[in-house]
Amino acid sequence: MSAHSAPSRLGGHASPIQRSGGSLPFSDERHLQAHRWLVDEAYLLDAQRYDAWLELLTADIHYLMPVRVTTALGAGYDCAPGMAHFDEDKYSLSRRAARFCTQHAWTEDPPSRLRHHLTNVRTFATADPDHLVVDSGVLLYRSRGDVREPALISAGREDLLRRMPGGTGWLLARRTILVDDAVLRTQNLAIFL
Amino acid sequence: MTDQARLFSEVRRGMIPAHIYNDEEIFRLEREQVFGRAWVFVGHESEVPQPGDYVVRRVLADSFIVARGEDGRVRALFNMCLHRGMQVCRAEMGNASHFRCPYHGWSYRNDGRLVGLPFHRDAYGGEAGFPRKGQTLLPAPSLDTYNGLIFLSLDPDAPPLHDYLGDFAFYLDYYTRQSPGGIELRGPQRWRIRANWKIGAENFAGDMYHTPQTHTSVVEIGLFREPKAEKRKDGATYWAGNGGGTTYKLPPGTLEERLRYVGYPDVMIETMKQTWSTAQLDVVGRDGFMVSAASVFPNLSLVHNWPRVADSEEVLPFISIRTWQPIGPDETEVLSWFAVDAQAPERFKALSYKAYLMCFGSTGMFEQDDVENWVSLTSTAGGAMARRLLLNSRMGLLEDDTEVVAPLPRERFAGPGVARVGYGEYNQRHLLERWADHLEARA
Ligand code: FES
Ligand SMILES: [Fe+2]
Repeated sequence: MSAHSAPSRLGGHASPIQRSGGSLPFSDERHLQAHRWLVDEAYLLDAQRYDAWLELLTADIHYLMPVRVTTALGAGYDCAPGMAHFDEDKYSLSRRAARFCTQHAWTEDPPSRLRHHLTNVRTFATADPDHLVVDSGVLLYRSRGDVREPALISAGREDLLRRMPGGTGWLLARRTILVDDAVLRTQNLAIFL
Repeated sequence: MTDQARLFSEVRRGMIPAHIYNDEEIFRLEREQVFGRAWVFVGHESEVPQPGDYVVRRVLADSFIVARGEDGRVRALFNMCLHRGMQVCRAEMGNASHFRCPYHGWSYRNDGRLVGLPFHRDAYGGEAGFPRKGQTLLPAPSLDTYNGLIFLSLDPDAPPLHDYLGDFAFYLDYYTRQSPGGIELRGPQRWRIRANWKIGAENFAGDMYHTPQTHTSVVEIGLFREPKAEKRKDGATYWAGNGGGTTYKLPPGTLEERLRYVGYPDVMIETMKQTWSTAQLDVVGRDGFMVSAASVFPNLSLVHNWPRVADSEEVLPFISIRTWQPIGPDETEVLSWFAVDAQAPERFKALSYKAYLMCFGSTGMFEQDDVENWVSLTSTAGGAMARRLLLNSRMGLLEDDTEVVAPLPRERFAGPGVARVGYGEYNQRHLLERWADHLEARA
């Protein structure tokens, strides 16, 4: 998976840093930190604690979820040109988060029961010791109401983590979500992956 | 009166039998009588700009390859091999001079003509035994375009599209012809919702009444300044030809000031002035109405809004086109495109796209709350009690069927059709009257 910020129409501000070399050993301290970061994030997203989640995002975040399309093997692309589900910066993510904090975001009142199942995590160094690239798979189980069919969303993600200024923690600077469906089977994306 | 005749007469007086939003028998009728005859939107010419470009789109269960041939013409070819019926094209989009069937290898040019059969001589006796001439993938029975919008009809005797749209074409221009270059379409985002297809079409046609309630949150977060109750009741709704929609009332000002108010840059305003008719300009500049949501019978909807996309007072208008593609009585596939004037400045195109993503489509903050309502309504409509309930869709009518407000005179609304200010369900009734006409008509 390569970073998709460049071809996106709104990703001009995104950090261009790319992975270098193969995946780090699972015993590497950097991998352990990145994996832990993703697990902690998954719990925040499950609990819809979007105010806390926003604080984990850098000011220059680019959060992209392209629209996948079925194309012939040799076509050279499998995302709809010029279209995405999410193509977000910090401001638009903050509006989405703020909306869920109003009393009137009906789609999540009553809230969905969410579980972000996280797997296949691998971490890559970059030319800059303050940045890591992390790949992961995520399967979101979303259940609404008592008897409605649940929705499943499967996706691969490529994240760019940036070391907090002067600190030991990490922030998310870039995320590309490659969803595994061309036609989503959920009523909306009032969730984050 | 038969049960069915009673059902349609209830619909015509604005009392809607609730089960029509989730009923197998109604859906079977809709498949034949509505989607077997009406013009259905499948895409835009800008999606297939080059010879060989194609997209695959459906009209209910029927898959069509919408392809631009080497001659520059756009055709819609039924995506089923003439030999044993395999899907000839299994991608959603691409560029191809030929389509080769994966089953036994018959191949077709992108205009549908059969050009190759493996072992033609041995298996069929060559041209003498089975001439290829005249063998072509089945074309859509009818295809027509308006402003580059491609419509199909399964009825070979469908009236010309322009006649079908009628006076709605006047309003369609606001969305799809802001310059002579027309629009370019991006997308679609596609997702499936457990809701009946009619609900979205009705909502976009005329449900200005839901905005202050359903969309409270987008005002609270500063995304949109308009949905407030006072703003919506001052807008006009119009019905013209085979479609109708809602508008917002703009603050006082000139044409230019009003177009600037919704975020259009001066270069686009200049082009609009040269492109739109006097009456089209008057609806905005003289009468102060700006189009918002609209629907064309049966399942095409459009929307035009002007949210804030950054932490500033600037607003950016966007246009979305979508279809409510029926999958079953309780399931709809939404195809939602972003549309923008092809001649618009690049910065405008990018920010308008941002505005679209924030408001409509799979992630849109307006749309999220709409769909929750429709899913809930549909599941409730499937039960036994819904068959005893007539939903009240009579807003704007008094007990004796006279109208609460009179239509706007031409001096206050320059557009064709009938327009009224204030809350009403005129357009939902118009749409369902068309629906009843189609279901009742027997070939
Ligand atoms: S089904 Fe297409 S070649 Fe046989
Ligand atoms: Fe709405």
